Order: sequence, then structure tokens, then C-alpha cells
Amino acid sequence: MWHRKVIAVGALAVAGTLLAGCGGSGGAGGKSTVTMWTYPVIIDEKQHRAFWDAAEKEFEKENPKVDVKVEILPWANRDEKLTTAMAGGKGPDVGYLIPDQLPKYAPNIEPYDEHISPEAKQAYRPAALKAATVDDQLMGAPLLMSSNPLICNKKVFDAVGEKDFPATWDDLLKLAPKFKAKGFDIITYNGDATATLNMTYYPLLWQAGGDVFSKDGKSVAFNSPQGVKALKFLRTLADDGYTEKSALTKANLNIEQTRIGRNKVGCTWQHVPIEVEKFWGKENIHVVGPLKDDQQVAYGTVGSLSMFKKAGDKDAAAKWINFVTAKKTMDDYDKKSGFFSPLDGNELYAGDPVNGQMEKSLNKVNVGPLYEKARDVMGVLSPEIQAALTGKKSPAKALEDAEKAAKGITG
Amino acid sequence: MATQLTARKHGSAPPRRRRSVLARHDAMAGLLFVLPCLVLFLVFRFGPAVAGGVLGFFDYTIGGTAEWKGLDNFRRLWEDPVFWSALRVTLVYSLIAVPVTVAAALGMALLTRRAFRGVRFFRSVFFLPVITSLVLAGAIFRWLFSAEGPWTTMLGWIGLGGTPWLESSTMVIPALALVGVWSRFGYGMLILLAALQNVPRELEEAATVDGAGAWQRFRHVVLPQLRPALFFLAVIETTMSFQAFDAIYTMTGGGPAHASFTLVFDLYEQGFKYFDLGYAGAIGVALFIMTLVVALIQRLLLGRDK
Repeated sequence: MWHRKVIAVGALAVAGTLLAGCGGSGGAGGKSTVTMWTYPVIIDEKQHRAFWDAAEKEFEKENPKVDVKVEILPWANRDEKLTTAMAGGKGPDVGYLIPDQLPKYAPNIEPYDEHISPEAKQAYRPAALKAATVDDQLMGAPLLMSSNPLICNKKVFDAVGEKDFPATWDDLLKLAPKFKAKGFDIITYNGDATATLNMTYYPLLWQAGGDVFSKDGKSVAFNSPQGVKALKFLRTLADDGYTEKSALTKANLNIEQTRIGRNKVGCTWQHVPIEVEKFWGKENIHVVGPLKDDQQVAYGTVGSLSMFKKAGDKDAAAKWINFVTAKKTMDDYDKKSGFFSPLDGNELYAGDPVNGQMEKSLNKVNVGPLYEKARDVMGVLSPEIQAALTGKKSPAKALEDAEKAAKGITG
Repeated sequence: MATQLTARKHGSAPPRRRRSVLARHDAMAGLLFVLPCLVLFLVFRFGPAVAGGVLGFFDYTIGGTAEWKGLDNFRRLWEDPVFWSALRVTLVYSLIAVPVTVAAALGMALLTRRAFRGVRFFRSVFFLPVITSLVLAGAIFRWLFSAEGPWTTMLGWIGLGGTPWLESSTMVIPALALVGVWSRFGYGMLILLAALQNVPRELEEAATVDGAGAWQRFRHVVLPQLRPALFFLAVIETTMSFQAFDAIYTMTGGGPAHASFTLVFDLYEQGFKYFDLGYAGAIGVALFIMTLVVALIQRLLLGRDK
């Protein structure tokens, strides 16, 4: 009999150990709990934690029956963590999401239209609301905005002896030989296959007057004269040595390892002032604005707080989101993180020569395609762009092949 | 006879029963010892693997809803050029990585087989890459293979410079395979060292007396004795190379132009970038079948004796 008892105890111990890791968090003492996942939007970890601790405290004071728990997770692998948690029926009640993520998570997101007051909704910039809307439904409350206009390094321009900053593609091509002759690149293009095309090829496609998807979102539209023009422009920069060649295909590049970090590049639309500041010096950053060809447009994003359908207490979750996105809290957060306000006409950096200029470009941002298959299409287009830039294919052939592959995705 | 009968009458049957009870107790105790490991294996390895395979027959969303799709995902796989390209890349990677890893492991095992001053140090150093994070090592190798890195510089000295290997569609796979070999040969060395300890010294001595040289002793005496270990190693290394991911993710991101985009990379992107978990499951099934078929072929070629 002894061994049966031992086995039973052992089995219980094993089961207990396994189940210990599967416990759920429930409200205690009649309190409901709201969990939120966010990421290092404020780069300084201590400052970020302090912001949320203070916000939680203030909110809980006003809402004593709600317990808010904000978790700050790393940016890396955030989709893996979120999807696996959701597939396991876990995951947060509220999450920080950007437009690129919204279409994929849309089936799991609680439409926010009925949780936001008409006044609060009306206070947002139209571009911010559009970026958080999928299939005519608001997927969350915008919390911040960003923009990636063209910024230039004054130190490099001084070294080259150039006083005029480029505003168009033609300007860039005119300046490029002068920069090359002095050992500088006029522009950088990091074509990392794992990076989003929203930051690389798409801005050029939009500037040329093209788009990624057709108007109804059912097919791709990048294989167009505008698409080819944008890729040819990039190919010229690469072939003529006007941009760092190794950055065209390298993965996971740190800015320290690039010519941008070594003050060898004139301009970039792939970096924002906060990233280059410590390498260039804030006084050397000149914000030109979105680059122009046929259109003047830049990539930008909108960070929103979305409520997931699994949220146990939707009213409490909505109260929390509305508290954070109220002007006072949101302005504080946007300033501390160095981002911009999604509220219409709400200028946080008036008088600041860098951020003030960045703020002015917010109404010219495109947040990228908001379709379910947008990321999948990037997956087949990205390697073809690399093939064109490394000379393996012509721009026209690369886009043609990418379109063929994309048809297998969009149907 | 009388003695036997007496023995049976007075105790031969009861001791057998006692032994049998003891044996059962031992078996139970053994089972108890392996139970935690077995449960963990079933819950965290076997279960998810089976579930992943089953997913291949569904359209599964992250919200947890699943719709039966039959063989649709597999049909899509058949027509997907990205899948075939990833399969080709995986096979080329394995064709380079597996033989070189086994050869390097064998070479190092033979070198460190005999006891000499510092042998333990060398064995430890050779094993070190196995326990080193490939993500960390990948970052270092990325620099080694970069335009400014020592590898490209050294190739330049002998007139083979030019495009850094990680930026070349042709050389990126050999570069990644080299990193795979570096990270795996220490494990193989350990397996082969253990196998070499079991090769009777007398056999080699007899061969020496018969006039066999070092190569002949190795080829006709040692190598045949290593066949089971080599079979095991070939299967393990093939499986590992089919699953190559960490270093590729860190070093190339599947590029340039999908030249290092392997099957596991495809599975990862479908599952966690595009959230197409059913299709990712189908890729997983294809990978499993491929591994199984190659292991069976290896068994036919290498493991027919045991």
C-alpha cells in the first residue's frame, strides 16, 4: 500500500506544482481588477514606472473599487507575448497598440465608440481617429502621435559646405554627388527585412503618389508606375553610392553601428530627433518636414489604448482608458515620452525648434495600410525590394513578382 | 531430487513472490521518479507538438476560435513559392551544417581522446559554444562577417574580399552554417568521446601489430565501432539544423532577399507576425514529416546494424 500512497502524494505534488503557474488574478474584496500591458514608450524605465504608479494611485483614489495593474513589457517580441497570452485565455484587459497591429487584433478588441463621449472623440485630430479605426469602428482611444519627417544633420551640411536643405527627391539627388565627394551619404536607407516597410519604402511610394493597397483593400496596388518610380529612386541612391550599401539588407542594425551614428549622413526619415540627439547634438538637428515628390507625406504612428473583449469589467477598463487619455494625464505622458498630442490643435512644443517643427508635420502623416493582410503583404514585398536594391532584379520585375506573391495572400 | 522438493516445500515459491513484489515496488519507485519529468514532457513538449500539428487542419484565430479547414492549409503550402524557397534554403543549410558538424566533432573527439596535459581544459573550451546563447553569439558573428569585420578583411588579403558574406545571397548560408557548426560541434564531440572510450584498445593494438597505419586503424577499426554514435549524431544534428532559427534571426533576419529564410523562420513569421496559426501549424507538420523521412533514410544508411 505504501507505494500507492507515495504515488498519490507525488502526483498531487506534481499537479500542484504545475497548477501553481496557472493561477488567475481575480478581484479581491469586491474590487475589480484592470490589467494593462504597455511598453517602454518613456525610454527612462524609472520615469516610466513612476508615471504609471502615480496615475494608478490617482485613478484608484477616484475609483476605490477598481484595482489597476500596469505592466511595462519590452518592445521585443511583444506580439508573441500578446498572442500566446490571448490564445491561452489570459492577457491584459487593456493594451497599448499601434495602427499596424490593430487589423490583426481587431476580432479581439472591444469597439470603443460606445465607451468614449462624443466630445472626447471630437477633440481628436481626424488623422489620429482615422489611424485607430478599422472597418468603421474605433479600436481604442489615441494616446500619442509620432511623425517621421525628413531631418538633417547641420554638422554634416556644414562639413560639406551646403546651406540649403533638401525638400524634394530632386533636391536630394542634386545634393548627393557633393556629399559623396566629401565622404558623406546624403540619405540613409535601412532595408532590414524584419523592419516594417512603413518606415522604409512606403513613404516613398506615397510621396510618388502611389499606395500599397487598392481603395477597397482587396488587392495590392504597389505594382504601379508610382511604385516603380519610388523603387528606381532608391536604386539610384544605392547604385550611385549615395547611401550606405550594407544598410540595404542588414538586419537588426543598431544606430551606433551605422553611418548615421557616426555623423556621416546628411538626412534621414527613418530616425526621429530623440534617436539621433546623442550622436548629432540637439543643436545640429534640422527638421525639414515630410519629403515631397508628387505628394508631401511622412510615416507617422498613433499609439492607442485598446480594450480587449476578454476584459472582465468593461466599465472599469473604459474608465481607466478615459482617465489616461484625458487631456491633463495625456499631455503629461506625451511630454515625458517626447511624443505628440493626438488632440486637435494641442501643441505641446510651441517654441521648441525641433519638436515644434516635428509637431507641424502631424497632419501630413500616413500611418500605413490598415488592412488585415497588410503585414503579410510586407512579408512578400520586403525581400523583393531587397532583390531590386542589390541588383538581383529590376525594380519593375521585383514589384511584379511581389504582386504575384501578394495575390496568394489577398486572394 | 529430494533436496529440490524440500526446497520447494520450504521456501522456493515464497522468495520468488517476494522478489516479484520487490520488483514491482522498484518499478513503482522508478515510475515515481520519472513521473515529474514525464508529466512536464507531456504537458510542455508532447502536448503542444500534437496541438501544433492539429492546428494545421484549422483556421485558428488568436481569439481562440477554430474553423475546420481540412487540407486547405496543406494545399496552400504546396502552391506557396515562399514555402518552397524556405525548404530549399533549409536543405542547403543542413547539407552544409550537418556533415561539417559531425566531421568537426569527430576530429575534436579524436584530438582530445588521449590523456595529455590540459586535455580537460580543451574539452571544456570546445564545449563552451554549446552553452553559449546563439542570440549573443549571433551579434558577435554579425560583426565578424561585416564589411569591417576580420573575416571579410582576411578574405581580402587573399583576394577573396568583396561583398561581406551576410550581404551576399550566395554566401549567407555557408556563413550561417559555419555559425551552426561552431555552436554544435562540442555536443557531438562529447557523444563521440564517450563512444571512443568503448572502443577496445586491444583491437587497435592488434591492428598495429598487423602493420596497420594510423589511417587504416581509424578507418577499419575505430570508425565501424562509432557507427551507432555517428547515427545518433547525424539524426540529432539534422533535426537541429532543420530547426535553425536563433542565429539567423539575429544575423540576417532571413535576408538578403530571403536568401536565408528557413522553414522555421517561415513558421515563426506566419504564426507570430501574421497570426496565421493554422498555416504555421501546417508548416510545422511538413517540417516534422521531412525530419522523420530524413531520419529514416539515415537509419537505413548508418544505423542498419543497431
